[in-house]
Amino acid sequence: MRMKPSGRVLAMAALSIGIFVADTVTNLEIAVAVFYVAVVLLAIGHFRARGVVLVSAGCMALTIVSFLLSKEGAPESGLVNCAISLLAIAATTHLGLKTVAASVAIQEAQAQLARIARVTSLGELTASIAHEINQSLAAITTSGNACMRWLAAQPPNLEKARLGAERIVSDASRASEVILRVRQLAKRAPPHKDWSSLADGIAEIIALTRGEIERHHIALRLRLAQGLPAIRFDKVQIQQVVLNLILNSIEAMKGTAGRPRELTISLEPADQGSVLVAVGDSGVGFGSLQPEQFFDAFYTTKSEGMGMGLAISRSIVEAHGGHIWAEPNPQGGATFRFTLPTAETEAP
Amino acid sequence: MTQTSDGAARAPVVFVVDDDGSVRAALADLLVSVGLEAKCYASVTEFLAGDRLDAPGCLVLDVRMPGLSGLEFQREMAKWKIQLPVIFITGHGDIPMSVSAMKAGAIEFLAKPFRDQDLLDAIQAGLEKDRVRRQEAAAIAELKLRCSALTPREREVMELVVTGLLNKQIAARLGVSEVTVKVSRGQVMRKLQADSLAELVRFADRLKDAGRDRGIPPG
Repeated sequence: MRMKPSGRVLAMAALSIGIFVADTVTNLEIAVAVFYVAVVLLAIGHFRARGVVLVSAGCMALTIVSFLLSKEGAPESGLVNCAISLLAIAATTHLGLKTVAASVAIQEAQAQLARIARVTSLGELTASIAHEINQSLAAITTSGNACMRWLAAQPPNLEKARLGAERIVSDASRASEVILRVRQLAKRAPPHKDWSSLADGIAEIIALTRGEIERHHIALRLRLAQGLPAIRFDKVQIQQVVLNLILNSIEAMKGTAGRPRELTISLEPADQGSVLVAVGDSGVGFGSLQPEQFFDAFYTTKSEGMGMGLAISRSIVEAHGGHIWAEPNPQGGATFRFTLPTAETEAP
Repeated sequence: MTQTSDGAARAPVVFVVDDDGSVRAALADLLVSVGLEAKCYASVTEFLAGDRLDAPGCLVLDVRMPGLSGLEFQREMAKWKIQLPVIFITGHGDIPMSVSAMKAGAIEFLAKPFRDQDLLDAIQAGLEKDRVRRQEAAAIAELKLRCSALTPREREVMELVVTGLLNKQIAARLGVSEVTVKVSRGQVMRKLQADSLAELVRFADRLKDAGRDRGIPPG
């Protein structure tokens, strides 16, 4: 049940008051204070461990106070009820904290898995990343040689030599940008949401995969809308999703012949202020399978695939409050689309 | 596709087709630094839309580009009536492709980053090859021109002269007097500017070869 933080605190307070009143004022022969576990359960998962312990201690204190204040009923049964309640609260708190620890561990494992999948995807790009760097190196080498020839001319042409040197510097920085992008994607950083331009993020991934796209003689069609509303997202994670979709599309078009190979990537505003990213191909499509099956973990058509790509992509998109789905294209192939909410529609 | 004709003795031009802007800029500078004229294009389409120049040339082509690949273009060059020698450059390390490219008649296949001297050597070889081809083509064109000035009778006589027949035999074959044959023969030698029978025979062979290459019957 999703509630706003302040609503949750309100509910906990109201519940606590209600239980306290019921426990102190009424003369029911039952351990009403056991119901404080509901307050503890509300705290679990939404407050840190220390906060949960505080809430739990508070409930236990209220229980004891109720016991001390109660006039009605037999003292022995009152003591027993108090003990039962305290035990229940303590046990719930202990189990609850264990659950929290377990879910933190799961999240870390998921982040690890996502990173592994990301690095695996990057591995598939090795050849085209090498090609990108190679282009820069070729330009640098050639410019360097031209530079030397200009300097050896009679008389030396310093202006041309200077222009050559400028080109070398610019090409070198282009190459180091490629390395930077690769490093960022391979980093072991924890998830980090920030305001960023989705168009720029997608463009970076396209630059990284351009070599791979070319290698397979695929025509790239881009429709990236500019001036979209600001989005708060984890750049590395969303780039991973886009990278995964692009690599899948390339894979789907590997075997096709006789049909022009087209990869279409678009970014456009969608309803209710969210944005829509679509990656479409003219590949083999879904065959006899349902599009949804492709999102199952460990489903893969690749001989060396892990099959985690789409499953991880889905969990990333949904963690951002969006949706991801796939549809066959009328002219063959498939299009994968995902939405991301923008500032106004951000998920709690 | 425009064709400018400034005459056969123009300075050579190197056409560079590569979709990477940095590579184009660097190559252009290198070529200019050794005194060559460079014309750069980002794609085969742009190249085809550009000016063809009446000068010895050669083509430096990236193997893989978006759209039409360099290798496919090499196969299609005849269709576009392009006879430029081709030098391939690639950033992809395509060994199998290099074999097909060389078999299809490329001058050289270089992997990026290449040594500038390797490229320049290949370009010189290409330009020389194109120079020779252009000289040949010019010579054939000249011969054809001279040939077109022959009358039908003179053409008949020429075809028989180069097979080694004597004037007497030719006269008998054509049913004319030996004098007519002698006169025609003289005209043929004069119009074709042949100094000897041997040279005439060579001219005739060249015309026949050129005609055969294009599927046109000689004469």
